[in-house]
Amino acid sequence: MIATVKRVSSFSIAVCAVAIILSILLATCIGAVGIAPSDVFASIAWHLRIPFTDQSVGTSDVIIWQLRLPRVILAFVVGSMLASAGAAYQGTFRNPLADPYLLGVSAGAGLGATLIIVTGSNPNQYLVPFGSFLGAITAVALTYTLGRSAIAGRSSTALILAGVAVANLLTALQTLIQQQHNDRIREVYSWVLGTLNTTGWSDVRLVTPYICICLVVLYRYRRVLDVFGVGDEEAQTMGLPVERVRATVIIAASLGTAAAVSVTGLIGFVGVIVPHVLRLFVGNSFRILVPLSIVFGGIFLVFADLLARTVLAPAEIPIGIVTALIGAPFFLYVLGSRRVGGIS
Amino acid sequence: MFKKSVAVALAVVALGASTSATSSTNAATAKPFPVTISNYGQSLTFTKSPTRIISLSPTATEILFSIGSGSKVVAVDNQSNYPSSAPRTSLSGYTPNIESILNYNPDLVVVSYDPGDLVSSLRNAGVKVLMQDAASTLNDSYSQIVQLGKITGRLTSANAVVWNMKKKITLALTSVPSRATGLTFYHELDDNYYSVTSSTFIGQLYTMTGLVNIADTADGAEWGYPQLSGEYIISKNPSFIFLADSKCCSQSRTTLKARPGFKNIAAVKRNHTFILDDDIASRWGPRTASLLQSIVYDIKFFLKTNY
Amino acid sequence: MTKLAVANLCVDIGNKRIVDDFSLTITTGQWLCIIGPNGAGKSTALKALAGVVPSSGVLLIDDRDLSAMKVRDRACWISYVAQDPIMPVGMSVFDYVLLGRTAHLNLLATESNYDLETTENILQELALDSFKNRSLDSLSGGERQRVAIARALTQQSPILLLDEPTTALDIGYQQDVLDLINRLRKDKKIAVITTMHDLTVAGIYPDELLLLANGQIVAQGSALEVLTVERIAHYYGARVRVIIDDGKPLVLPEHMDRQA
Repeated sequence: MIATVKRVSSFSIAVCAVAIILSILLATCIGAVGIAPSDVFASIAWHLRIPFTDQSVGTSDVIIWQLRLPRVILAFVVGSMLASAGAAYQGTFRNPLADPYLLGVSAGAGLGATLIIVTGSNPNQYLVPFGSFLGAITAVALTYTLGRSAIAGRSSTALILAGVAVANLLTALQTLIQQQHNDRIREVYSWVLGTLNTTGWSDVRLVTPYICICLVVLYRYRRVLDVFGVGDEEAQTMGLPVERVRATVIIAASLGTAAAVSVTGLIGFVGVIVPHVLRLFVGNSFRILVPLSIVFGGIFLVFADLLARTVLAPAEIPIGIVTALIGAPFFLYVLGSRRVGGIS
Repeated sequence: MFKKSVAVALAVVALGASTSATSSTNAATAKPFPVTISNYGQSLTFTKSPTRIISLSPTATEILFSIGSGSKVVAVDNQSNYPSSAPRTSLSGYTPNIESILNYNPDLVVVSYDPGDLVSSLRNAGVKVLMQDAASTLNDSYSQIVQLGKITGRLTSANAVVWNMKKKITLALTSVPSRATGLTFYHELDDNYYSVTSSTFIGQLYTMTGLVNIADTADGAEWGYPQLSGEYIISKNPSFIFLADSKCCSQSRTTLKARPGFKNIAAVKRNHTFILDDDIASRWGPRTASLLQSIVYDIKFFLKTNY
Repeated sequence: MTKLAVANLCVDIGNKRIVDDFSLTITTGQWLCIIGPNGAGKSTALKALAGVVPSSGVLLIDDRDLSAMKVRDRACWISYVAQDPIMPVGMSVFDYVLLGRTAHLNLLATESNYDLETTENILQELALDSFKNRSLDSLSGGERQRVAIARALTQQSPILLLDEPTTALDIGYQQDVLDLINRLRKDKKIAVITTMHDLTVAGIYPDELLLLANGQIVAQGSALEVLTVERIAHYYGARVRVIIDDGKPLVLPEHMDRQA
């Protein structure tokens, strides 16, 4: 389990790429409406301009290309982001319980989305994502300002405390506003519980660029995340500009998370579960945890979403509920069947 | 086709029955009080018409004003937006504050929903509470109207309102072109694709017109309000779409077309999409008849222009 | 040969001056030890040298101003091991020691073969290569201290700061670690500054002692010069006897009964 510096080999990259493609294809073959895998492949192949394929026509093509595939891809991208952001937060804060929502992203996004939902009569479909993105970023900025100006404690502890305070404040505000607008409560809840129900390519186009940039930043900082493990003071004597790097990682992780939740709502558990399960298998070095979180966070959410949209089809289970219902017991099982000392 | 004729026949029969009921009760209006009604196991006796009524139910508000008892209403809840003359307050039917309600010194509170212990608290405070929860059939709706008529001494008006509704509905249903029968539709409650089945109050209205509800085959829980998915709706390819979420969720023909894959649905392709008033579509008061009228009008209009 | 010169170093925490007018000079190959009673400011002075607590004063390394340097450049000159270094759970010894190369790497870079070789060599020198794949949590106290020193050595800086390197170690391990430090500063020409609270050990190994009390240097010089019965009584409030053995002072606590 403990190995020397793991270098990302081209073989492992190939294995991961195959795993990603297979899970995306599998998830695209299954849905509320039964469509033969051959039709699925034909549809995708034609749209990808693969030579010698014919345009498949009719409903199944629409369902595959315009509904299912974008949804599966968005699930993958969002899962990657949440899991790697979780890993990054756990690294910079040396706190195994850190998740992407640690600094108030979820509360800020919730408040932003709620404000747009209750005041909005504007039919612009991008307004809610925009509001929640803005809310999330504002929350993290607020947390960071408060945490930095706090006198007591080392800065990472102060930041976490500030995050708790900001999250509680914003959640209270959100509840208050929601209470004043009972007529909109269901919309607010359905956003809070997370949904990929109405995803199309437009959502994918909207957030994928931001998420990709953030993923690249986190990937490039994977070695540095290991340095944080020795504590802020020693890390600094080892040549790490601790505050600056922490700020960079936080910004990347928060921006990406904000972009993700802005189109899907709040999906919990991915950021904690995925890195921890991986840790039990591959050890505690972020050089591998970050890339593997990107791969398996995405795959995890693709399958969670698959369950969310098929178990009660055509109705949906909110995906946040699926990640918690599947994630928690799976995590406990893995924890129980493995060496317990690997975590903490 | 068969279904539709039966529905029309039933409506006509109901119309006749109520007409005779009106005449028979007219005799009784000579001495309207005291009135005793049974309401969810409680027996309520009114020695005279209540004069300080609070309605926490938008439907009850509509009924009270339609039967001419509006002057006896001192406050309505924050959702009661029709008629505009109703004394709308910040009282909430979902999170009611007992003290604020009692502050109006009401002698009758009409509710459609009992959150927590609203009803028992008000009764303990000596206030009469009338529960009129969501109607599941048109007849439920009619009897709620008649019930409020009795209590407020406006039985004649109430019967007239009911009669008017029945007339409108019957006329509307008889005018539905026969080729509408069997065409499919999707009724949308919100932009997460929640819909209604034929077992619901609103669903029954559609069934009367002969249209076929695509949500009927998706209600595993038999709750009446199944959630559909984009995939499901597209694969069912409904001929009509009725949006009852233009107010709540800002949905419109434009947003409908912008949804992934929806352009390929027959209803969207041919512009057979229709905006319903969210409020009317979620209530069961006198305006229900107008709702059915407008649904029928649109079916007719679309069939005329597009086939 | 590298020289570290410190003059008028002051550290304030809150309104309290923890280190006051601290000065020292050390060149590579030397071993200087800061001693003093609990709360004298030993660790804080060492952290100020390491640059992890804000301080005022002059810090020069070969006439270059350390306090104006970027964090990474400074780390190329000075390395530091905390009293109880935090060891990331689940990380292997090799990966941990390799982290010492951070000072020589661009933030976004990964280690080159040279970095890997350097790490291998240091593990070998410290006889740690047999358990380089072991998890850090499985190490004993003495092993942890050696691994932490190895990590500091891969940083390849001329100045090495060790905060209480032998605290909490059995006497055998203490000797191991002290011998190791002694060998390293001679073989690798490193200037070593340690803090210690064990006066006997402090009297035997380092070249020079620096006695700190209430943040101020009250005595400086060889062990024989600094460790006198009177000073120890005054600053530590302890009754001791000092026995000179082979030119080194041995500080022995004295039983209450004997004094009477």
